[in-house]
Parts: sequence; structure tokens; C-alpha cells
Amino acid sequence: MRPTLRSRFLTGCLVLGLAAALVPAADAQKRGGTLTIVRPTDPVSLDPNLETTAPGAWVYFNMLEGLLTLDEKMQVKPALATSYEVMSPTKVRFKLRPGVKFHDGTPFNAVAVKFTFDRALRGTPPARWASLAGSLDGAEVVDDLTVDVVTKEPYGPILRTLAMYCMGMVSPTAVQKMGSDFSRAPVGTGPFKFVEWKTNTHVIIERNPDYWGDKALVDRVVFKVVPEEGARMIALQTGDADMVLFPSPAQLPALRRDSKFTVHETTGIRVVFAGLHAGMPPLDDVRVRQALLHAVDRKAILDNIMEGSAGPALGVLAPGVFGFKDMQLDRLYPFDRAKAKALLTQAGWTPGPDGIMVKGGQRLSLSWLAARGRYPKDGEITEAIQAMFKEVGVEAKVQILEWAAVFQQVRAATLNHHMFTLGWVTSNADADYSLYALFHSKQVPPVGWNTSRYANARVDTLVEQARRSLNQTEREKLYGEVQDILAKEMVWIPVYTTKEIIVSRAGVKGFHIHPVEYNLTLSKSWIDK
Amino acid sequence: MTAWMRFYRNRLAVLGLALILVLALSAALAPWLAPYDPARQSLVEKRSKPGAKYWLGADEFGRDILSRVIYGSRVALLVGVLSVLIAVAGGLVLGTISGFAGGWVDAVMMRGIEILLAFPYLLLALAIVAAMGTGALNTTIAVGVWGIPTVTRMVRGAVLALRETEYVGAARALGAATPALLRRHILPNIVPGLVVYATLFMANAILLEAALSFLGLGVQPPTASWGLMVSTGRDVLLVAPHVATVPGVAIMIAVLAFNLVGDGLRDALDPRLRGSA
Amino acid sequence: MLTFIVRRLLLAVPVLLGVVFVVMLTVDLLPGDAVTLMLGEHATKDAVARLRDHLGLDKPFLVRYLEYVGRVARGDLGRSIQQNRPVAAELADAWPATLQLTVAALVLAAVTGIVAGVASAVWPNSLFDALARLGSLFGLSMPIFWTGLVLIVVFSLWLNWLPVGGAGSLTHLVLPAVTLALPSIAMIARMTRAAVLDVLYQDYVRTARAKGVGEFLVLGRHALRNAFIPILTLLGLQSGQLMGGAVLTETVFAWPGLGRLMVKAIFARDYILLQGAVLVFALVFVVINLLVDLSYGLLDPRIGRQ
Repeated sequence: MRPTLRSRFLTGCLVLGLAAALVPAADAQKRGGTLTIVRPTDPVSLDPNLETTAPGAWVYFNMLEGLLTLDEKMQVKPALATSYEVMSPTKVRFKLRPGVKFHDGTPFNAVAVKFTFDRALRGTPPARWASLAGSLDGAEVVDDLTVDVVTKEPYGPILRTLAMYCMGMVSPTAVQKMGSDFSRAPVGTGPFKFVEWKTNTHVIIERNPDYWGDKALVDRVVFKVVPEEGARMIALQTGDADMVLFPSPAQLPALRRDSKFTVHETTGIRVVFAGLHAGMPPLDDVRVRQALLHAVDRKAILDNIMEGSAGPALGVLAPGVFGFKDMQLDRLYPFDRAKAKALLTQAGWTPGPDGIMVKGGQRLSLSWLAARGRYPKDGEITEAIQAMFKEVGVEAKVQILEWAAVFQQVRAATLNHHMFTLGWVTSNADADYSLYALFHSKQVPPVGWNTSRYANARVDTLVEQARRSLNQTEREKLYGEVQDILAKEMVWIPVYTTKEIIVSRAGVKGFHIHPVEYNLTLSKSWIDK
Repeated sequence: MTAWMRFYRNRLAVLGLALILVLALSAALAPWLAPYDPARQSLVEKRSKPGAKYWLGADEFGRDILSRVIYGSRVALLVGVLSVLIAVAGGLVLGTISGFAGGWVDAVMMRGIEILLAFPYLLLALAIVAAMGTGALNTTIAVGVWGIPTVTRMVRGAVLALRETEYVGAARALGAATPALLRRHILPNIVPGLVVYATLFMANAILLEAALSFLGLGVQPPTASWGLMVSTGRDVLLVAPHVATVPGVAIMIAVLAFNLVGDGLRDALDPRLRGSA
Repeated sequence: MLTFIVRRLLLAVPVLLGVVFVVMLTVDLLPGDAVTLMLGEHATKDAVARLRDHLGLDKPFLVRYLEYVGRVARGDLGRSIQQNRPVAAELADAWPATLQLTVAALVLAAVTGIVAGVASAVWPNSLFDALARLGSLFGLSMPIFWTGLVLIVVFSLWLNWLPVGGAGSLTHLVLPAVTLALPSIAMIARMTRAAVLDVLYQDYVRTARAKGVGEFLVLGRHALRNAFIPILTLLGLQSGQLMGGAVLTETVFAWPGLGRLMVKAIFARDYILLQGAVLVFALVFVVINLLVDLSYGLLDPRIGRQ
């Protein structure tokens, strides 16, 4: 068994080279200074066990490192591990980087890896990222610098899972000594270490002088909380902040032209969509669903509502995700009101007295659940599509509720709405994570997140097969077929793919934005006044 | 001179009344007055500056702001008037009972009121709307309930103070029944205060509706609400100030109108001010 | 007097118990659940069940209520569901900021409001009266988040005099305190004007005037003293509203206070944190009420006898 696996998946042992510092020497890097970042919310916690959302991740990603990491091109790269070897379908062996110490002086080794995974997966309650980690079951110590990562069943996405932002290693001694205080002052191996967290005011981290790799260039980073979008932008203009996370889309065109600022942007990995309940009449008719796609002018939404702050949705996955295939939406479902009406007519709908389509005395009226502010411009795109639907004789009864209420209803076993505005981020950047949880017929909430209540036996087989396979080429092909099927059946109206956008003063150099919103790397940034 | 005559002699109050009439007319005649369908979108014309086509400009969906302001007067009037009625009616009943009954009834009721007052109103509004569903009417109820404790305490305070005055004491001694006392002596004395409060509350009602609409607990799209218009327009305050300013001014004018009328009514109704204005 | 205070404080206990009960019931009735919200879209069914069990959320409502009350009686406010941090620590972080902002706004509102109101009443229908009334109308009519943003644009962006937001120095306090105080100034000024005018037309004031008592004394000894009762009632109510109503101001100015903490807790359905925050809020409110009632007695002996 083992040799076959080796020959199939590994041409020998794949050694991952050290990521050398490849920054071109165009500017002379300067050390020192404080980088002040404003963002809308305070972290829940700084411990990945309790916090998987961005406000915490932005901070702890700079203090805690995992075995692997994803670079800006979405390739898996070494971090605390230097090489790996697949031992069996459920076991991967990692060689660990020697001579690494946690911020508190504790040596980093196989025991620390096992400790981190045990704490997260066997703890009561388990870590919040446990749900993101699929079949990951823990780690076994082989020797001081060798560790086996074990999964419960063959799990294709294992490497990308270990490269997730929340898989940072924690210092066993610090956790034992600090108890629950650890979550407010984490101890890792990263280029920055924790200084202070004043709730709802700021979090401060500073350079780790003993870092194993390239040391951070700035002395300190201050993360400030400024909830109001307008106020954040003003803080940047007055110089109170060096960098703004979640800048105001409406101001981006002006900022792009302004030489005092730099707009950093890249395509993200979240797709925001208007979901369709495929099990609920009249949306159980694929022609009605397709008609709705033709009725939506996605380009107008991108240009006028997103205003360049998002990219087109190319399918149910974002382009950076492993297994992504372009679903050719613009070719298959161009904005065409005549086509939309024709499809509705085919499905037996005729215009009623008030312009809304009718069939058998029933109006084509769809109830639609959305929140405002959960995903960028979610309320606005819902309102825009509502108006577009009206043009083809479809009435949308929109209910904009607080996120908690929307979430409760969408996550319930039965959903009593035709449509819902949601977003989905492929956290581990592997198609399994989305295609399995979102479209497998057994993943209807509350088990998974098949909010469309979509059921297709072929899709079920394909995503199961791809999940168990460790052959990445084969997996890519299987996921391609899934996306081809979905492109015909359309249980979503994909609206946009997020863009990660950060605006900084022009004096902030060396910063590279990452497609995954959580992966905010600050150690290479420096301040040139 | 009658109260109405005195009211009509107050020019500011008449101006306020005229503004309220305009408001009421625009609410009643909205479909004929509005140049466009308030829900009609034209995304490419988003945030158009005020001009020949859109007199007050267009919002972030390219909807005509003037038409939305006109239709928004319906929501403002509905929420403002109804919520005040709820607050005043509730407060009047509870406050009189509490003030008159005294003793343990009063103590229990006051503790209940304190619970309500000690409760962050946002949570209360959330609870009411969450329990009953979203929409303009439920928002109104949530806003109205918020005013009940304050009115109750005002009324109770007035009743307590008046109970001790000579004329109520005398009326009591003469064997007047409580309802008669209430109608003849207490009510006329608290009406001016209530009118002042009701007009002030009207302002707050409209502003609270803005906050609730913003939280997604107000009217549902595509219905136009001034509060929602200001709330969503504030994101573009720096690039397109008119989107938030116009409905903000509409709120201000509506509130101003109610205040002017309230003040005028107060001066006109308060017998002690007779002839002084 | 002392027995009165003790009795009132004892009476506050059922109020606080009632507040906790109402908060807990409300959160229970609201759609949405702390654990599923916290774990998000990605959570497995099993993860949700295990965390709910760990937090004891599946116990019956009354059991949870009694457990909570029992813990609070022993001085333990519990740990926030979302952050797993002692609620007392969360409150200790937020409370000073709220107190600072509320007191600043209240003092500003009371001083400005009463002075303007009295002046308006003494010279009714004068130019000052007209300006003050017009000013209060504006103060009352502007949505608070809009006022706040306009102030930021003017004083931070254009003039660059004051910081945009956050807490720290006294300069940080200016804009939020003014924004928060504006509606209250207007409210207090109007109420003061109405109350003082009211008293000025009472018979005993006329009598005092007729007896030749100086206008200043009339105002100080008779008018203000009696007018203070409604004004105090309003101040008591305003202090509560300022504290609770600071939410929007705190959001606009990134002020790290109790208001934002509560909204966050409501949206996260973190009822343990919410209860702790509301308890503090309610306790302060009870004390303010007590102070207001005590001062009634001092100002008007007729009520004091009650």
C-alpha cells in the first residue's frame, strides 16, 4: 500500500524550499516606526480556538504560525514545517523547522504540534475551527522534530486545511500557565508578539526580535477600532491611521488617483449570491431559475453598487480556490429580459393585470430573506435585484432582517423563503469545502450549508469521490464536472466575488495583500515617511 | 378669546400647522405629486446631483430622491402620529392609576416602569419587532411603547402634585368621584405638559424609526422611509452629501412643524398664559 | 430619611430581578441563537450541539434563570458566551468610558439647557428666546449619527482640530459629548422654559412681585425652586437615556462604552454578557431615580411628607 501511494502522489519526498526574501531592492527598506491600522470591529478573541473571524485573525495571523501557509498566489508553502511526506491515505508526516522558539522561550517541537491539535480537537468544547478542519483528527509525535498528522478518513484537502490562517501553533507552557487568559494574550512563534489589548480601543503587537525568519520591519502595529466607514476614511486622510481595512467603496476611485495613498487590491475567495430554494415551487422548475438569472444585470450591479470593490462572480467558487472552474455565466445566462420572459412563458407563466406573471391564479411572487451589512452591500444588491425582477414580471417580497434572524431561518431544517442573500468563503481554499457542504444532498441545514436544498445524485457521488481522493489532478477533474452540472441547474444567482481591498498611506511600503481576507501579513511592511 | 383664536394669532404655530398640512397632503397625494415611481431604479444615474431631471438628485440606486421624500412622508406621519398616540394613551392610563391609587399599587407600578426604563430601548424594540415581524406598523408600536414609561411618570408626577393642591382637596371634600376629578381637574392641568412632551416625542419617534430602519427593523424595501434614507446615505456623506442631507432636512422640517404646533397649542391652552402672548 | 433610602434600595432588588428576567426571556424569545451565530455558517451540527451542552444552554429557562441569579448573588456575573471572558472584566473595560461620556454630556446638557431655558423664560419672546428656541429645534431635529458625522467632517477633516474617534485624551471626548448632549440640551432648555414660565404665572409669584420682592429673588427663591421639580424629573430620565442612547454616538465616534457592548451582545445573542451590562445599567438607573426622588423632598416639602 505505502509504496504505491508514494509512487502515485510523491516523486520521492517533496522538499519545500525556504521562502527566500525576494523583495526587489527598488526602495531601501527602513526599519522602525509604528503602523496604525483602523478596522471596523474588535476581535472576539486572539485565540484561534475561540475566534475564526477576520477581526481576530488579522491580529493573531501575525503572531501564530501554522505548519504550512498559503502564499499570495494561493500555493501551499512551508512555515513551521520544512517538508512533508504522505505515509498513508490518512497520515501525513511533517519534518519541523529546527531551532524555533515561542515568544515565551518554549522550544517549538512535535510535542507542541500535538498539544495544539489536542487542545483544539479534544478540548471541551472543541475549537471553533474544528468545523473548518474536516476529517483532521490530530497529531502523533514521531521524534522531537517529526510529527504525523492524522485524519479520520482519507481527506483530499488536508494540506490546504493545515495551511489555513487559524491553524497557528500555540506555546504549551503559556497555555498551561495562563489558562483562559491565553485567549487575550496569545503566545506563538510569529514575527510579532503580543503587547496589549484594550477592549474596543486597540490591540498592540510588536516585533519579535528572536524570530527565526526575516524579522518584522516596523517596531509596532496598532490595530484601532473605528466602526464608522466615514470616520475610518477620515482617519486615513488626517494621518491618524496608516492603513484602512474595509475602505469605503464609493471613495476608491478618488483614492486610486490620489498619489498620497496606495490602494492594495486582489480577488478574494468569497462569493456573494442570491440563493434559490430549489425545492420550493415555483423555483423547483429549472426554467424559472434560469429566467431569474437572465433577468439580473450583474454588470450594472458590479459597476454601480460595488463600484469596483468586487469582481464578477464566475461561478459558485472564487478563482483562487483549488478546483475552481469558470461556469461561463456571461455566455450561458447573459442579461436578457426577453430571454427571461420567454423562459417564464415556456414554464407556463403569463403576464397578469399588474404586470406580475401569473399561472393558475398564482402570482409569481417570491419571498426573499436578506440581512444588511453582513456581506459587503448585501442589502443593496438585494434591493437592486428586486427592482430588476419587477421588469420581467417577478415580484420579490424582500424582508431585510437582522443577521441573527436571517441566520436562524436559513439554518433551520425547513426554509420558508424562496430566496436568501448570502456569501460563502472557501476558508481552506479547496473546492471540497464548498461543493461538498453546499451542494451535497445530505448537507441540508442544520447538518451542512446546502441552503438551496439542492439534490442531485451525480453531484453527491462526485463530491464524495473527490473528498476521499488524494490525487489532486483527479480531484480537480471531478470538481470540474460538478461545476458543469451546477451551471446547467443554477440554484444560485452568483452576484460577485469579493475583492480584498486595503488602502494605506503612500508612505507604507512593502505590503502585499492576500486573496484570503484573514491572511494579513504585516512583517514585510515598512514605513517610509 | 377662545383657545383657537389665540392659536391662530401665533404666526409660527400657524406656519407649523401649514407645514403639517403640506406633510399630510403629500402623504395623501403622493402618487400624483411624485414625478417618478419611488421604487424605480436607474443604476447608472446613481447619486446624480440635483438638477433638471431629478430636482433633489438621485440616491445610490438612481432613484428619485424627491419622489422618495414625498412617499416617505407617509411612513413619517404614520409612525409619528400613531406612536405618540400609543405612548400618550398608555402613559395616561398607567400614570393616573398609579398617581391616584398610591400605596402598594403605585409602588408595584413604579417598579414595573423602572424595569422598562432600566431596559435598553433598542433591545425592547428588537424584541417587539422580532416577536411580531418587521414592517411599518410594528416599528410604530415599538417606538410607541418606548414612550409609555416617560409619559406615565410625567402624568403620575402631575397627579401627585395636584392631589395635594387646595382645589382638588376641596373637590374631594365635596364628594367628587375620581373620574370626575380626573376629567375636571387633573386632565386640564396635565394637557399642556403632555402636549409639549407629545411634540417632542414625535421628533424622537421619527428619529428612533431612523435607527430601527437602519437595523433592518423598520419598513421593508422598496418602501421609502426618511430614516432609512438618511441611514444608508450616510455612507456616501463625503462623496454625495445630498443623499443623506435631503431626507435629513425632511425629518428636520417635519419635526420642526410638530414642535411649532405643539408650542402654539401650549400657549393657547394654558389658561394662566391668557393674554400674555 | 435613612430608612427611606434603605427601603428604596431594597425595593430595587425586585426591579433588578425583574430586569434580569425580562432580558433573559427576551433573548430567549428572539430568533437566533448565540452558539450557531458564533460558530457561523461553517459549523457542523455536532459542533453546535457540543458547545450548547458545554455552556448549559439546553437547560430549561427557569433553571438557567435561577442559576444565574444564584451566581450573581455570590458576586459572579459569569463568562460571556462569545468571548469566554469574565463579564465583570468586559464591563470594567467599558464602564469608565460610558461614565465619562455620560457625565460630560449630562453636565454640558444640564448647564447649557437650564441657563438657556431660564433666560428664555425671563425674557420671553425676546431675540434670545427666539434664537434659543430655534437652536433647540435644530438640536432636536437632527439624527444623532448625522450630527456626529457632520461634526467629524467639520472639526476633524476640514479644521483638523479634534481627533476623528476613539478614546484617550480630553480632546477625544469633545465631539462625542457634544453630539450626545445636543438633543438633551434642547429638551432641557424647552422643559426649563416651560416650567419656569409656568411658575412665573402662579399666584404666589405674582403676590411676591406685588409685594415688591426683587425680580432676581422672585426668580431664585420661588420660580426656580418650584420649576426644578419637572426639570429634575427630566434630568433623571435624560441621564438614563444618555447612557442607553449613547449607542449611536459610541458607534460614530468609536467610543468604547457600554452602549456598543450591549448592541454587540444583542446581535450575538450573548445573554450572559447582555444581562451583566443591563444589570449595571439598571443599578445606576435605580440610584439616579432615588437621588431624583430624594431631591423632590428637599425642594418641595409637600412631596417629602408622602
